Amino acid sequence: MRSVTLRVNGGQHALTLAEDTPLLFILRNDLGLNGPKYGCGLGECGACTVLVDDVAARACCLPVGLVEGREITTLEGLGTPEKPHPVQAAFIAEEGAQCGYCLNGMIMTVAALLARETQPSDATITEALRYNLCRCGAHVEILRAAKRAMQMMAP
Amino acid sequence: MTEPRTTADYLATGSQLAVVRDKLGATSPDDVEIFVIVSGDGRVTAFNGHVDLGTGIGTALGQIVAEELDVAFPRVTVVLGDTERTPNQGPTIASETIQISAKPLARAAATARAALLARAAERLAVPVSDLSITDGVVTPPVPDNRALSYGDLIGDDRIILRIDPEAPLKPVADYRVVGQKAARVDLPAKATGGLVYVHDVRVPDMLHGHVVRPPYAGVDVGDFVGTSLIGVDQSSIADLPGILAVVVIGDFIGIVAEREEQAARAAERLRVTWKPIPHLRDLTDIPTALRENPSTPRELSHRGDVEAVRAAVAQPMDRTYVWPYHLHGSIGPSCTVADFRADKLTLWSGTQNPHMLRADLAKLMGMDEGQIDIIRLQAAGCYGRNCADDVGGDAALLSRAVGRPVRVQLTREQETAWEPKGTAQLMEVRGGLDAAGDVASYDFSVRYPSNGAPLLASLLTGVIPPVPMVFTMGDRTAIPPYSYGALRATAHDMAPIVRASWLRGVSSMPNSFAHESWIDEAASVAKVDPIAYRLRYLHDPRAVDLVKAMADRVDWVPHTEPGTLGGEGDILRGRGFAYAVYVHGQFPGVPAAWSAWVADVEVNKTTGDVALTKITVGQDSGLMINPAGVQHQIHGNVIQSISRVLKEEVTFNQIAVETKEWGGYPMITFPEIPPIDVLMMDRQQEPPLGVGESASVPSAAAIANAIYDATGVRFRELPFTPERVRAGLEAAGITSPPAPMALPAPPPAKKRGLWAGLGLGLAGLVGIGTLALPIRSAMAPIAGPDPTLYSASTIARGKMLAALGDCAVCHTAEGGQPMAGGLPLETPFGTIFSTNLTPDVQTGIGTWSFDAFKRAMRQGIGQDGQHLYPVFPYDHFTKTTDEDLEAIYAYLMAQTPVVATIPANKLAFPMNIRPLMAGWNALYLKTGAYQPDPARSADWNRGAYLVEGLGHCSSCHTPRNALGAEIASQRYAGGVAEGWEAPALSSLSRAPIPWSEGELFTYLRTGFSPLHGPAAGPMAPVIHELQALPDSDLRAMAHYLASDLPPVSVEAEKVAIDTADARNAGAMLPSAGPGGRIFQGACAVCHAPTAPPLFGVKPNLAFNSNLQSASPDNLIRTILGGVPKPAVANLGPMPGFGPVLSDSQIADLVRFLRRQYAPGQPEWADLDKTISRLRATAFHAGP
Ligand code: FES
Ligand code: FES
Repeated sequence: MRSVTLRVNGGQHALTLAEDTPLLFILRNDLGLNGPKYGCGLGECGACTVLVDDVAARACCLPVGLVEGREITTLEGLGTPEKPHPVQAAFIAEEGAQCGYCLNGMIMTVAALLARETQPSDATITEALRYNLCRCGAHVEILRAAKRAMQMMAP
Repeated sequence: MTEPRTTADYLATGSQLAVVRDKLGATSPDDVEIFVIVSGDGRVTAFNGHVDLGTGIGTALGQIVAEELDVAFPRVTVVLGDTERTPNQGPTIASETIQISAKPLARAAATARAALLARAAERLAVPVSDLSITDGVVTPPVPDNRALSYGDLIGDDRIILRIDPEAPLKPVADYRVVGQKAARVDLPAKATGGLVYVHDVRVPDMLHGHVVRPPYAGVDVGDFVGTSLIGVDQSSIADLPGILAVVVIGDFIGIVAEREEQAARAAERLRVTWKPIPHLRDLTDIPTALRENPSTPRELSHRGDVEAVRAAVAQPMDRTYVWPYHLHGSIGPSCTVADFRADKLTLWSGTQNPHMLRADLAKLMGMDEGQIDIIRLQAAGCYGRNCADDVGGDAALLSRAVGRPVRVQLTREQETAWEPKGTAQLMEVRGGLDAAGDVASYDFSVRYPSNGAPLLASLLTGVIPPVPMVFTMGDRTAIPPYSYGALRATAHDMAPIVRASWLRGVSSMPNSFAHESWIDEAASVAKVDPIAYRLRYLHDPRAVDLVKAMADRVDWVPHTEPGTLGGEGDILRGRGFAYAVYVHGQFPGVPAAWSAWVADVEVNKTTGDVALTKITVGQDSGLMINPAGVQHQIHGNVIQSISRVLKEEVTFNQIAVETKEWGGYPMITFPEIPPIDVLMMDRQQEPPLGVGESASVPSAAAIANAIYDATGVRFRELPFTPERVRAGLEAAGITSPPAPMALPAPPPAKKRGLWAGLGLGLAGLVGIGTLALPIRSAMAPIAGPDPTLYSASTIARGKMLAALGDCAVCHTAEGGQPMAGGLPLETPFGTIFSTNLTPDVQTGIGTWSFDAFKRAMRQGIGQDGQHLYPVFPYDHFTKTTDEDLEAIYAYLMAQTPVVATIPANKLAFPMNIRPLMAGWNALYLKTGAYQPDPARSADWNRGAYLVEGLGHCSSCHTPRNALGAEIASQRYAGGVAEGWEAPALSSLSRAPIPWSEGELFTYLRTGFSPLHGPAAGPMAPVIHELQALPDSDLRAMAHYLASDLPPVSVEAEKVAIDTADARNAGAMLPSAGPGGRIFQGACAVCHAPTAPPLFGVKPNLAFNSNLQSASPDNLIRTILGGVPKPAVANLGPMPGFGPVLSDSQIADLVRFLRRQYAPGQPEWADLDKTISRLRATAFHAGP
């Protein structure tokens, strides 16, 4: 156990914990954030995606010790129902989810994509989402949402 | 005000109108279920016993209530499946919610509307027929401008009404809300992290639980279930913090901890012994397994004399169709919070069947149902019975054990292995055509080994017996929709072989695969167009309309033989049709929406890959309450079902389910999604039909028929993987078999550990050692460290040098204080514990003088005159200058002393005789500081000093002789470190792109070379330590190490990069085989150069020398254990796959990687043995 300071959604959090604890558990259990979800713990599904310094990261297998001092953003930090981030707004408008368990990962992955590339091609979008799984088959609506987000954010 | 929790709370509320129904078997007038409440503030709450499985039924039900009550849709809140508040409407199965349970809800809303209208009529003294309602406001005809809202009409009254079965429902023509797109009400919260899923429930005082499951993963029938536990060794987790309880009941084991990661870690680590588990039926041969499973025939339909007609047919057509085991595959493994108090159990659950779960829990806990309250929350889409209920039993037991609320989260591997599967199914048709090509006889039988999957905790604890239980659900759509001459349909009802329960399209999807494939085969035999042939036997007018509309939609070109769509190169094109109506519920069941598919495919005849180029799907859903929602449902069904048909299959080992994660169970990914065209029949005047599953049902046959159309080859077993299709095409002579693979390599020479072979040679040393040198003298102790002796800068330099020497790497125990020793070092002659290097006077080096320290570093002799073992690399450290040795000494003595007694070494005779090492020293030790080579540059000499001295690189990267000494003639030819291969750094390196000075520096500086890979295994901590050194020193080391290497030519590097690109692209092809699919699903996200950036590096396997090596050990070790602690934080970690991949899955993966990335190298032999050896030595198998 040691003390770790985490920067999450613009706030600072001092915690005492084992540094091999997966970041996901800290975000969910210590900070009470519901956006990132546990899906596999192996980096395979994307449900736990957060941004670390604006790059997507799979929080389920990211020991918290590795992200000390970095800026972590979760779905909650992206926007709120009143002031959604454009990617969130696009997913709501296109109904880019059924059960929505994968939704966090989809939104965060698209947000990371659009942060590094403003006009990705269709192939780039599908490739960026390839490693995010959805059992409900909401893929069509998710792709529409990604494209709508791209248009909304176009420079 | 807190939200009312129970029916009684609701009914006690004033100022509202509630519409209720007497409970089944009610004994008092208060024993009611509520359907609709109109509150005095104008809000409307609707209650439904079903749950939203992610299909948006909450939205549709809200629309129905809004419509019948004439309020705007946003005023309505829908409360779903919750034992205390909602009506018991049975489990949420299939497509019943809208079709069946919406009816009483609509009637309840109509009852409320009628009552409110009657009140208004009285108050306004206007006949009801003259009143109109707009969004809950009742108005008389103009010019009268009075108006009364529902709230006004209710006032302070508390009105309770029974549902009036005669309450008038609105004519469809008047619908304003139903039939329109309604925005999903749940999405804004879901998209911003505000929605509380069951996974997100946190209650005060809550603890975390994890379970440990028995080895018979996914099996729930047999004497051994609940009785296989031998023992739980609690001492195996005694050192872990936060553990509050280990609960063991029968084969049920659960751990409760303060924190989730503590519970998870303990569950992984807990040592449990189990009795041997009996073998499972061989499920690689599903037809035999299902035929041999005991069954009872049940005739579902019989028309005409099937046997006689069959005996006389002109063209017999007996066919067998095989369906594999599928997963429900929820993305979120099941989770529940349970709170057990004296006489009450509260459960926050994602169950699909709250009322059924309550009954199960009552039995498990020995409670009355009335003492159990289940609060139902959104879970991950499950599409049937997954572990959502099981985890409720687990949590209830754990909460009872600790008397506090406990949240239990199943792991991915537990959910996957233990979820009741969507069952394998066997469909057999004995049939035939008459001389005119008409179907004369169709004798269909189905085997569906699946039931309701009894609550796992009840089975594991022995509360219910693990006996075979039969559910009769194999009959759905077992009767084909066609009017064949003689027809018989039989369900062979049977108990499950492995845990299995309903999954979307329950038995109907496989049955329709058979019906729709068979009729396609018959059409082809009869030389009739497949759609025209179906229409001969299809008489249901709405079905016929749908089929014809679909033919129009796709411009269907009638044809009587396959191959009409041609293709080019390796590609063959085809188009297939299938039609089905999903019949659900108790036999004979209720038809849901009609559905038809046209699948367009491209089959690659060389690889066997089937690419879907377009899916057109048509559906007659009757009235669509929310057409946008219906379309969404259709998309979901299409995508999920093509995934099942093309890719999915659960695998088994001899005793249990093997599949535990997504690499071994690939689901469809975004790049594979074909364009989907949806045709929705306009039937808004007809009653609504279930739309949750119908569009899945024709999928398999449509695709099989399309593959037949493309290739002329018929596939009757799912999934249509490239291997299966390729094999089928080969058997049909359409494609030729592949060239044989490279032969396996001869078994590698026996491995040596760092000190392997030493035992052998040591015997000889006995003589040399004892004769040659006596025990050395002890060095006088000093009183203790003198902090004034050395300057801060000397100490700082010493710290850096100690890092270069990796002192802390060996002298720090797992979880121990730095430098306090105690790390066990395994050697062939026993275990040596590293010593305490902190300046504690009792247990550390506090009394060591500098001279004593220098002698240890130079000669390997301790303060007491005893020889040290050369696992301590004094043969390298001896090269260090006096000045540097003194700095290291200064640093060590300046540390905070730690009292740490080191366990005694566990060595056997004669190795426990330390003087033997004197002999070793006489042979191999050249003492004395490094002497610079005047012919070389200063940089080179600096590098040599660091590398050969404190850096001691060659102690791992050079092979050793039988006495454990480095072989001078093979310097840097590669050695072994802690069982890992330390690759060659000389020209013998197998790196696809040879090391250069620049890459060596990058690697030493950052722990990662893009052209080679990251530091892992024992190299990771080395790099971590090197971070203390300045660039200049690392450059010197790289310069020295590269000085003997051949230069890397630009052209050669370009060729290597191009080759790597091609290999990486090939690794992502659908035809990569089982190992390739594991790579794509589990590894590619971090290893495919095309994958999007993720925190950490993307090691390119095409450049990785471990794949080129003669031995697979490093690769296998990395797969098993991952890289939990990268050398440098920003490299990112790699999870270990040991607990989730079986030996044979890892063998598939490793074989694939070798073929794909080292095609010139021979295959690795004996992979299975190597994997189980490495797993046994270093890693525990998972649950
Ligand atoms: S939960 Fe992290 S990737 Fe699946
Ligand atoms: S919407 Fe359910 S998993 Fe994607």
